[in-house]
Amino acid sequence: MTGINTECSFTNELIISNQGAIMKEGELGRVYSDGEIIFKEGETGNVMYVLQSGKVKITKKTASENITLAILESGEIFGEMALFDRLPRSATATALGNTRVLHIDKKKLFSTISRDPTLVFKVIETMSQRIRRLDEELTKVKKKKIDILHLSIDVDELCNLILEEARNVIASDNGSIMLFDDNRKLLSIKAAFGAESEPKTKLTIGKGIAGDVLKTGRAELVNNVTMDPRFIPGAMNVKSVLCVPLRYKGHNFGVINMSNSSEKLFTIDHLKLLHSLATYASFAMQNARNFSNLKIATDEVIRHATMLDML
Amino acid sequence: MQEIMDANPYALEDGSHIAVIGGGPTGSFFSIFAMKMAKMIGEELNITIFEPKDFTKDGPGGCNRCGGVISELLVQTLAVEGINLPDSVVQKGINSYKLHTTNGSVSIGTPLFEKTIATVYRGVGPKGIMGKDKESFDNFLLNLAVKEGALHMPLRIDHVEYRNQKPVLFAKNKKIRDFDLVIGTFGVNSTAVKVFEGLGFGYKSPAITTAAIAEIGLDRDMISEYFGNSIHLFLLPIKDIKFAAMIPKGTYVTLCMLGKNVTAHMVNALLDHHVVKKVLPENYEINCRCLPKMNIGAPKVPFTDRIVMCGDAGSTRLFKDGLGAAYIMGKAAAKTAVFQGVSKEHFHKYYYPFYKSIIIDNYFGRFLYAMTEIYRKNKLLCKGMLNVVQKEQQNVHDRKRLSTIMWDIFTGNERYKNIFFRSLSLKMNIDLLKEFAKLSVRFY
Ligand SMILES: Cc1cc2nc3c(=O)[nH]c(=O)nc-3n(C[C@H](O)[C@H](O)[C@H](O)COP(=O)(O)OP(=O)(O)OC[C@H]3O[C@@H](n4cnc5c(N)ncnc54)[C@H](O)[C@@H]3O)c2cc1C
Repeated sequence: MTGINTECSFTNELIISNQGAIMKEGELGRVYSDGEIIFKEGETGNVMYVLQSGKVKITKKTASENITLAILESGEIFGEMALFDRLPRSATATALGNTRVLHIDKKKLFSTISRDPTLVFKVIETMSQRIRRLDEELTKVKKKKIDILHLSIDVDELCNLILEEARNVIASDNGSIMLFDDNRKLLSIKAAFGAESEPKTKLTIGKGIAGDVLKTGRAELVNNVTMDPRFIPGAMNVKSVLCVPLRYKGHNFGVINMSNSSEKLFTIDHLKLLHSLATYASFAMQNARNFSNLKIATDEVIRHATMLDML
Repeated sequence: MQEIMDANPYALEDGSHIAVIGGGPTGSFFSIFAMKMAKMIGEELNITIFEPKDFTKDGPGGCNRCGGVISELLVQTLAVEGINLPDSVVQKGINSYKLHTTNGSVSIGTPLFEKTIATVYRGVGPKGIMGKDKESFDNFLLNLAVKEGALHMPLRIDHVEYRNQKPVLFAKNKKIRDFDLVIGTFGVNSTAVKVFEGLGFGYKSPAITTAAIAEIGLDRDMISEYFGNSIHLFLLPIKDIKFAAMIPKGTYVTLCMLGKNVTAHMVNALLDHHVVKKVLPENYEINCRCLPKMNIGAPKVPFTDRIVMCGDAGSTRLFKDGLGAAYIMGKAAAKTAVFQGVSKEHFHKYYYPFYKSIIIDNYFGRFLYAMTEIYRKNKLLCKGMLNVVQKEQQNVHDRKRLSTIMWDIFTGNERYKNIFFRSLSLKMNIDLLKEFAKLSVRFY
């Protein structure tokens, strides 16, 4: 306890705090009632907390909503981050139901830790459990993002998402997704980053490395592109290429290209990774195509119907 | 070859056998932390706690006689360690202290009156306690140690000897086994002291004095009305009594008296004092009394190869927070044994600094208690002190230096050394001097 906050009474009356009324005789700490805020995001924090009973909700504000990060149970330590990184509170802690909490003053805690550093073992354990939990959450979020690919209905948007995923898993200088237009019999760029963002590039089946991959359906890793006779030199300087087909029910309908302008080389692992992503993406893409075909058809029917009405 | 030469013959290994003599707080804290730390480095220790007392019994048979106040610092530190005291163990949550002198009374509370201090019983409570719904503190800790994997054997160790450089323990003249390490956590009220003195490595009984404890039986409502959530302290001019405390617990108030070899007669003298009479209701019953020994000076040689003394059997904090010292020393012994080794040299290098720091801190404690004695005996000084505290409290912006010094002395919440240096504050001493000057003008 630090002196600054010490309170004192001089009357002969006994001190019976308001807290006393709602706490059992043997209960320690302070009670927060349902919905009461224990600390707020952005505040400076000089206290860490140990939950004695009840639950605490940890939430974070985003532009549109409050996201619940965790529901803490009895015995858990919280509010420790601001003590150790000296930054404002990263989230808000709110009591869920009647909640009893023990406050641990920062000054006292650090002075005890300075004498016995092993005291942080428990805090580290809590923090690493939280990191583990976050890792799991992150994986779930990533998975959700891929799931969105499944449901996505706009082909262009989907191409961008797939390429972004590819870029996340394989570091490369350039990348693009090319789809085959059945009517015009041409491969054209739907999404790109880096030097491959030349939207006008169009290839026929069998032309260039991408055209060849579309034709053969074989994923390819070419680390010395200039020596490859299929390579069509363009404005951009490319040294190594990964190219995998997008394929559905035995029919190749596009390719994913990743390339490096620098000396960085791709490995066989990169190729495998991109190939599995492409398999996954192919399904999503086909869904989207079917959906947009359906949508175009429905729109057409509605347009006709409306025109009939107008006649 | 290199590895063998460098191997530490005094390092504990997976499966090492450790004997803990005494399952009081020090023994249990040692066992809890040694088990946890060993698991961290992938080892499993065989810890046996020898404790003949049954802490689930009421009356003196199940009790380790003490005031049962768990300081704010210990409550909080244990919570950080993951040891949260449940309401089945805590008799009462405390949020303030009230100091009574012949010149008036003053209360000092925790910020926001949070209940950060716990009162507990070391056994179930006084003989015949009604509704044994509460668990003893010592039992709670012993159970935690057992949960961590220690074994509890209800045996009293009565003999120790060295065989093949390992201590061997005996109970009722029967050999138990040899151990890689023996921890002496038998406190000061034990004949085991003599057993270890007999080993001849230099260990001598701690210096002791006699204290007094009395359990005052009262109605629960009456305790709430008269005591609230406060521990009441008395600094009264009664010969040889340094101070007394009344500690509320369920249907009893534990009276604890410290001084120079306190006697049963002094307990009556205190209860008859007019200041004490004002605090207590007229009718009450004394249900249990004892005159336990208290450690007031640590033995010089607390360890040898494979043996270490800990807690009250070694060094503890003077007059306050013996349970806090039990935690610090039990953990210090565990850290040394698990991470370093169990030779005399290991204990000297890694355990003794903690042991010594308590001894040094107690020098500052002695000085502070000597100062308190001067205030206790001198009316003018006592009044001046109360007046300064009052003024500190009336000024919201005041740093409340004297109030916090008093709080920390009474609660055992801070090391004596730190309190001592805070007591040198120029501003506070000027305030005190001003007050004394004013009062002397009025007195003479
Ligand atoms: C009057 C008084 C009031 C106090 N009040 C407080 C207070 O309010 N707060 C506080 O923090 N501290 C207080 N203390 C100090 C506190 O009681 C001790 O510091 C604490 O109990 C030390 O714990 P320990 O485990 O070292 O020893 P103990 O608590 O004494 O435990 C020793 C254990 O060893 C066992 N034992 C003894 N001999 C043997 C043997 N041969 N074989 C096997 N087992 C054996 C005993 O049965 C006992 O259980 C007080 C002390 C006194 C005297």
